[in-house]
Amino acid sequence: MTLSACGGGGGSANTSGQGQGGQGGGQAGQTSQSQTLTVAIGIDADTLDPAGQTTTTIQNILDYVTQPLVALDKDGKTQPLLATSWEPSPDGLTVTFHLRTGVRFQDGTPFDAQAVKFSLDRMLDPKVKVPLRGPFTAIQSVEAKDPQTVVLHLKHPAPALVSALTETAAAIISPASIDKYGNTYENYQHPVGTGPYAFKEWVKNDHITLARFDGYWGQKPYYGSVVFKVVPEAATRESMLLAGQADVIILPPASDLKALQQNPAVKVLLAPSDRTIFIAINTQDPKLKDPRVRQALNYAVDKQAIIQNVLFGAADPMDAPMAKSLFGYCSIGAYPYDPAKAKQLLQEAGEPSLTLRFIAPTGRYVQDFQAAQAIAGDLAKVGVQTSVQTMDWPTYVATMTKPLNENTTQLHMLGWAPGYMDAEQQMVQFLKADWPPAGLASSFYTNPKVEQLVAQAGQTVDPAQRQQLYCEASKQIWSDAPWIFLWTQRFPIVYSAKITGVSYLPNEMFDILNARPAQ
Amino acid sequence: MSGTAVYVARRLATSVVTLLGVAVAVFLLVRLLPGDPARVIAGLLATDQQVAQIRHQLGLDQPLATQFATFLLQLLQGNLGVSARTSQPVLAEILARLPYTLELAVAATLVGSVSGILMGVAAAVRRTSWLDFLVSVGALAGISMPVYWLGLLLIILFAVDLHWLPAAGADRPGAIVLPALTLALFSVALVARMTRAAMLETLRQDYVRTATAKGVGRGRVIFVHALRNAFLPILTVIALQFGNLLGGAVLTETVFGWPGMGQLLVNSIFARDYPMIQGIILVYATLVVLINLLVDLLYTAVDPRIRYS
Repeated sequence: MTLSACGGGGGSANTSGQGQGGQGGGQAGQTSQSQTLTVAIGIDADTLDPAGQTTTTIQNILDYVTQPLVALDKDGKTQPLLATSWEPSPDGLTVTFHLRTGVRFQDGTPFDAQAVKFSLDRMLDPKVKVPLRGPFTAIQSVEAKDPQTVVLHLKHPAPALVSALTETAAAIISPASIDKYGNTYENYQHPVGTGPYAFKEWVKNDHITLARFDGYWGQKPYYGSVVFKVVPEAATRESMLLAGQADVIILPPASDLKALQQNPAVKVLLAPSDRTIFIAINTQDPKLKDPRVRQALNYAVDKQAIIQNVLFGAADPMDAPMAKSLFGYCSIGAYPYDPAKAKQLLQEAGEPSLTLRFIAPTGRYVQDFQAAQAIAGDLAKVGVQTSVQTMDWPTYVATMTKPLNENTTQLHMLGWAPGYMDAEQQMVQFLKADWPPAGLASSFYTNPKVEQLVAQAGQTVDPAQRQQLYCEASKQIWSDAPWIFLWTQRFPIVYSAKITGVSYLPNEMFDILNARPAQ
Repeated sequence: MSGTAVYVARRLATSVVTLLGVAVAVFLLVRLLPGDPARVIAGLLATDQQVAQIRHQLGLDQPLATQFATFLLQLLQGNLGVSARTSQPVLAEILARLPYTLELAVAATLVGSVSGILMGVAAAVRRTSWLDFLVSVGALAGISMPVYWLGLLLIILFAVDLHWLPAAGADRPGAIVLPALTLALFSVALVARMTRAAMLETLRQDYVRTATAKGVGRGRVIFVHALRNAFLPILTVIALQFGNLLGGAVLTETVFGWPGMGQLLVNSIFARDYPMIQGIILVYATLVVLINLLVDLLYTAVDPRIRYS
């Protein structure tokens, strides 16, 4: 086995921490055969089939093994990965991808257009369990035009499709690996892809091990293997890091963030995330139908104080109905903390004192239930009485997705994180077609203007025009206030000061491909 | 057939009936839980059509009676079904975790009962001394201490500060020590209290006084004459504790990242993975039934006056 990647010189060479792979190759760097990087995560995988993924942490791991045609970079932009370039047809009904040459799968078979066709066809096959198939259903057929060219034929223009192809579900797997390593077409548990690390071992509920793939086409990572330890308890993950038994952990106890930031033995990354945290307001409830009431609720909450004191700084206040990293975002403004204005608006709307049912999950988002209690406190100050109730997640989902005539929630907390960085996946929260039980637009909001703008954006191929349409829709949503707009959550990654090069992607993923010992 | 063999056969037969009852109860209970497994598995971003498709794949669109018939039929063939979350056979997943949970429970029972018995005997022999006081107070503290809190304290002391033992996982040497100690502490306390009470009772008996008067050594009097006769209630407590430990392992396994059935159960409940929840509870129930049977048989070994017929 070879030791050095590209035969380059000093070990200090390092990329700037682009997303997975970025523009591979080029950079020289040392590698180590024997050294292992240990990462402690909170949950175990349900499946290692890239197509079956719904869980960000596991997608994160699989993205080191199997790669899609395109990748997300640190700024949320779509970058070439297994495809070096692509162009949509003028009518938006086909997209042509030009593939990278000289790429091999970890089982030694070559990567080509047939492999792409096989993987995407499989992902679209109803026989295979693909929970996040939605964004890809615009694909009519996949054509392997020649070994280096793939053409996607679409049912209708789908401007967000290329961005969606950055998702783990669209990863390209080795067709030969389907009948090997205990895999079948429908039950695929030993993934073989083109990534810098190959899958080695999965001891359920304990760890997943990856080993560096020395035939990788891009820049090879430093560590010979990476072990992802499954440690459900946040305080235990933190202990493992402090005890030197883990090099990187995600999601430490939020209450310890300040202490960790002051500890010279560790480094804290508060990565921006695309997860917006909000209180959905039931806009069809008689008490909440008047937009002034909903605006009042927005003025009543002191977001800045809650972020500082309850979330320990791990969030940024929202200034639009979506996160900054999404395509289609534009800054709209703020609902500053103004209890006097809130009271005045409630007065004008004829609802000077309200009693509302308010539910929030526990342990789903950073300090979720604690934040909900603080919000209830702020609401009480302007005469809106609530008593926050919590429930376990499946019950919570069942409660908030009841159809309007059975739905009893008036306020509920939710976090929404699009898997790909496009406003399209955020806007489903504001469309009548996505009202429960059909979707999760659980504020039961609709506005003809917004419906029209979003429908238009969904078919518009020109990016500048799409951006404009989403921006206009956002302005309308902001003033209609179907949510109490709270914050975009930050995703805490903590790592040992003995290593360097740990980075993040804007969709709650950690990037350890450039990790190496410090100095 | 000997009396014991008949007894065992009859107990096994009633056990089957008990387990069938458990199967019915757990089937109905998990379906009474609110929350749609298909929606949880599909994820929040899935469309309604995808959720419906998963519901169909899981057979959840069938009437309850049909689902129950399928479940029972499979159960009678020793088939616990396929996990809704992972698409893997339930039995295989459980059998992969079972050794970890058993290892932890056995280690904790051994530590807990040996140290609990020694402490209880010491406290009873030196009744009303400072030692007795210490054991009683310690036992009370042990019973009252939450597993979660104690586990984290042990991790901070032995893993973070002293670097003696791993904080979590099962793949390093010594990894079992902290979870086993955490789990044992609760049973140490119970066993110590029970032993103390039982020993105080037997030490007062005439035959103990006789043995001492005959000049039998003090150690022999305490451990052979007294402890042996005090042992039945202690054995019962230990056996019941073993069942509790299997359940207590749920919390301990979470704190220490121990890859046993407890963690699997928690994850499966959060995912509303019906087949897996049913399977794990049935395996737990089977273990408890078997342990109870084993303890009853052990009674005859400890106290030859007990005969089953």
